[in-house]
Amino acid sequence: MSRLRVRHETRYVYGAPAAFSQHLLRLTPRDREDQKVISTEIAVTPDPQELQWFDDGFGNRLGTATVYEPHDTLEIVAESVVERLPVTEIMPGASMPWEAAAAAAAAPAGLAAALYAFPTRYTDADDAIEAYARRIFTPGRPVLEAARELCSAIHDDFAYAPGATGAETVASDSYAAREGVCQDFAHVMLAAMRALRLPCAYVSGYLRTIPPPGQARLIGADATHAWVSVWDPGLGWMQLDPTNDMEPGPDHVLAATGRDYADCAPVTGLVVGSGGQMLSVSVDVAAIDETGAERAPDPAPAKAPPPPPAPVAPAGSAPATAAGPSPDAKS
Amino acid sequence: MTVADRLEEDLRGLFAHYPSDRSASGRTDGPAPAAAAAQGQGAVDAGLAIATADPPAPGVIPPALPPERVFDEAIDSDGRLRPHWRGVIEWAGRAGPEGYEAVLTENRRLRLESGVAFDPAGASDAMAAAADAFPVVIAPEEWETISLGVAQRARLIEAALRDLYGPQKALKEGWLPPGLAFGNPDFALWRRDWPAQDAPWLTLFEMDLARGADGRWMVLADRVDSPLGDGWLIANRVAASQSFAEPFLGARVRRLAGHYLALQQVLEDAMGPDGRVALMSGGGRDPRYFSHAYFARYLGAALIEPGDVTVRHGAAYVKTVEGLKPLSVLLRGVHSRHLDALFAPDEAAPGAPALSLAARSGRLRLANGLGTGAFAYRAMAPFAHVLCENLLEEPLILHDAPCLWMGDARAREQAMDEPELWRLERITRGPMTEKGAPVLTMRDRDALIRFLRRSGDRLAAVATPPLSTTPAWVDGALAPRQWMMRVFAGLTPKGWSVAPGGVATLVEPGCPPPPLAFGKDVWIPARTEDEARTAPSIERRMAGAHLRRTGGDLLSRVADDLFWLGRTTERADGTLRALRVVIDRMLSGQEEDESPEVLSAILEIQAGADERRVGMVRVRDAIGRLTADPHEPMGIAALLSGLRRTGQRVRPYLSEESWRSIDRLCSDKGWKMPPPPQNASALLRLIDDSLLALAAFAGATHENQTRNHVWRFLELGRGIERGLTFARAADALAGRRREPDETWLRAWLTLLDSRSAYRTRYMTTPAPAPAVDLLILDERNPRSLVFQLMRLEEALERLPSPGPRRSRELRLAMRTLMEIRLADPEALAEEDEDGVRPRLRALIHDVREALADLSDELARSFFAHTQSHAQVQAHQRMMAPPESPA
Repeated sequence: MSRLRVRHETRYVYGAPAAFSQHLLRLTPRDREDQKVISTEIAVTPDPQELQWFDDGFGNRLGTATVYEPHDTLEIVAESVVERLPVTEIMPGASMPWEAAAAAAAAPAGLAAALYAFPTRYTDADDAIEAYARRIFTPGRPVLEAARELCSAIHDDFAYAPGATGAETVASDSYAAREGVCQDFAHVMLAAMRALRLPCAYVSGYLRTIPPPGQARLIGADATHAWVSVWDPGLGWMQLDPTNDMEPGPDHVLAATGRDYADCAPVTGLVVGSGGQMLSVSVDVAAIDETGAERAPDPAPAKAPPPPPAPVAPAGSAPATAAGPSPDAKS
Repeated sequence: MTVADRLEEDLRGLFAHYPSDRSASGRTDGPAPAAAAAQGQGAVDAGLAIATADPPAPGVIPPALPPERVFDEAIDSDGRLRPHWRGVIEWAGRAGPEGYEAVLTENRRLRLESGVAFDPAGASDAMAAAADAFPVVIAPEEWETISLGVAQRARLIEAALRDLYGPQKALKEGWLPPGLAFGNPDFALWRRDWPAQDAPWLTLFEMDLARGADGRWMVLADRVDSPLGDGWLIANRVAASQSFAEPFLGARVRRLAGHYLALQQVLEDAMGPDGRVALMSGGGRDPRYFSHAYFARYLGAALIEPGDVTVRHGAAYVKTVEGLKPLSVLLRGVHSRHLDALFAPDEAAPGAPALSLAARSGRLRLANGLGTGAFAYRAMAPFAHVLCENLLEEPLILHDAPCLWMGDARAREQAMDEPELWRLERITRGPMTEKGAPVLTMRDRDALIRFLRRSGDRLAAVATPPLSTTPAWVDGALAPRQWMMRVFAGLTPKGWSVAPGGVATLVEPGCPPPPLAFGKDVWIPARTEDEARTAPSIERRMAGAHLRRTGGDLLSRVADDLFWLGRTTERADGTLRALRVVIDRMLSGQEEDESPEVLSAILEIQAGADERRVGMVRVRDAIGRLTADPHEPMGIAALLSGLRRTGQRVRPYLSEESWRSIDRLCSDKGWKMPPPPQNASALLRLIDDSLLALAAFAGATHENQTRNHVWRFLELGRGIERGLTFARAADALAGRRREPDETWLRAWLTLLDSRSAYRTRYMTTPAPAPAVDLLILDERNPRSLVFQLMRLEEALERLPSPGPRRSRELRLAMRTLMEIRLADPEALAEEDEDGVRPRLRALIHDVREALADLSDELARSFFAHTQSHAQVQAHQRMMAPPESPA
């Protein structure tokens, strides 16, 4: 059991005062099988004239914040405390053959999962991605076992390269480039699974990063994270993090699920104003104890698999800072 | 031997283009060998072919028929004229080719006329001229069945949408495959499980309908997401009923007005006491803009664009110069997927509001609802039978043209086995438009199989089988041509009402239905007195209800455009006048007038100064930039293109004559390649032509424009820009004493077109104080600075003000006006020891600052919420790095 405090700050600075802004916030974690939300709150500055809450078709909690008065900055701070719960370990080898899983999703009984079995704009596969998937999904192979291998394959074959792709990059482009960030890795995995009509969901959330030995934890150096969840008709959903080649554990916090990034984007919105905007995002995930005090970092994640033999970041550098958030705003 | 064998003598010529052996294998003696076959065809001819015992499966293409067996609307299989066509055919026979051509000319004129008034881009002109206009007559009995079928289809799609976004019984029972829902990009998943809505999904429904060569009707496409083609239907009917008045009245054609009256009633009921009905269009570049503009005017609805709406507290508002006005009913001419800035930011139109929030609260009635696109175009076709049997529990009346859903493995195989018969289309969105889109005849079969397996859920293989023919006017006689029609339905309190009529077009065999435009009017003869009754037209009813003196709300976006139209015309005027004064002087032969110092100063009132150059080089360079450089902000090239853009956007608000002057100015080819400064006389001619066009625009608006808010924003733009130009001119030419002073003052007077006024008053060479008095302080001189402030004050006084106090803009204008009025000409003309006129400079400085502030204040008060052109979508990316290696 671990308790994590997530602080996610989003700050827009407008070139000219905005007359009106309206944002959709997907910043509220909910209770899930593997986590319990102790507290969660969102503060918007300036104080919005409207703040509404509702649920979407994917089980996420959404907020809309609307500001009518002229404002030159907008700040959204979401802070949640989440307790990560241990989950029953799934034996991937015990899952159904993938062809049977696809057939089950196509049957009326599999409707809830079928929602995630079809390609979307971000996750449309091409021949190359389909071939990549089929090399791993050999006939009769258990679906979760193959998915676990796909997760490892993406981790091994793709370079983590912030700046190489943008928020708009689709799976086939990041596949061709063999590089990207966690969002792209998740989209490639989704595209591969869905090319075979296997249900696979996009998961957005956070991941606590552990500073290298001897270094202090850097506040705000974390970023929003993305991974996927795959389905077996008998065993249910199993989360996989292709960026880290692991099953999410005590250091992951799940914020939203959907079919792709578009269903889960933490903040989207519209601004009425004549100037441009600058966006800065800072995310901080800290392990805390019952009293809320920060705990010293564990030497290593408790349940994560052994560290991969070929770390993505070059040895000797400090990956957490080197890959600090450099969010891009689409204008 | 022609088909006309069986026709009356005097009609034979009319059917000269019909095939020669349409009936009886070309022989008339003895019993016709085809009589037995004709028996089978008898049911078809009676118009009962719709509900046949064995409906065609959606994947079966009926075989092509020999030409003589192809159903024709006017001539039956025995070669006889069908009774319901007799009136129009006999009229055409009497009129003869010459008479018919005259009617056609009149018809085209009427079409073009409506296009001129409603289509800013003039896109409908070409279509109007091209489309065949010979009416189609459908027998009343047959129309009754069609109406039932169209209404049933609307109910079916409504039921299917309600289920898809709600309990999803069709998916759970397997009537609908999951791929058609979840693989469908127009299924707005984010709005699943929203609170149940009272409002129906569909208020308007259109269908493309055709009759097969075998006589059976079939659905070619369902138009549900943003139908609103009604403008074409009505405009087409207006043109046809006037130009074909004789046969139209003779046939007692059923009128459309009753249908739209019922629809209008529904909208008014949904509107509430102080709500508004608006019709949202994609704007002038939307090919359907004509229909949107025409229909909005017909219904008395405001014509708006996505950026004109904002959503607050779950309610939608229109942005007008009088503030936000509640919008209660929205006729949606823009696709669902372009209208939600929060849930679908990637596809949202510029300035699109978060319309979903208003839809969710139930406070905005949308016609049609957001997300209806899930069953648009052909998505219903492969499943219509099973859904109709299960959701409505009745048999389907109108069957679909062959359509295979490519999400189904067997359907994919069939389409690939018969690639020449089928074409691939997006199942909810129609023909694939992108270059290199896959086709079934693709060479690489394996790649095609893989592509269809992955992406087939959103695709359909569609075929248009051979269709029936209808008479079309070709070279002076009638020829049989394949055709289809668009029909229109609306939801009324008594259920679905189908407009009696439609817009028919000729189609190329095997092609997708063409986009709606002007076409052949479809006539349904009335059977009863009740059907024949003409309802009072909506326009007349509206006019009777309340006289509208103000022209309704003025949208902020339009006010913004009018303001900039005013500013741009004045800018162009300022630049042209500066050029003319300079070129006149260069030609004058008077040495002191030709001084490059004066000339540069005049030009640089408009053009940016280039300090690196001196003398005549500097003058020529400035002339060159102002006449030919598209990047010079105050240059003619940039101003004319700005003028054209803004002018087109506000064209519906200008008088026809005002628009024509702008159009003439902007289309003057002379400015494409303006003569070089050396060819002064040619340049002068061009300048004078353009100044005349601008004067004509000013005159036309002055004479013809109602003094409403439209006029006021135009006037404010003009007053501010002219004030700024005059202030810059005063500063540049009289801000300090220069030698010889007289030529500088003369330049100032000439530039402001006040030389003769000065001469009649003073009869002397220009002196500073009198010139300052005339050009700055004289309240009767329309080309004085004070006059500009007076017109601003007048316009501002009548603008809507938020409270009982005078608005900030008005107070600013009044203060500045007072400052000028209190100034003394002698004091303004005083010089200090350096020759500078400090008081004049100070006054000019204040005025310029005030005018710039005024422009900003206006933007804040009236256009602020229109700045959504600069809408920014806020994206945040997920980019956590891999966990650091421990």
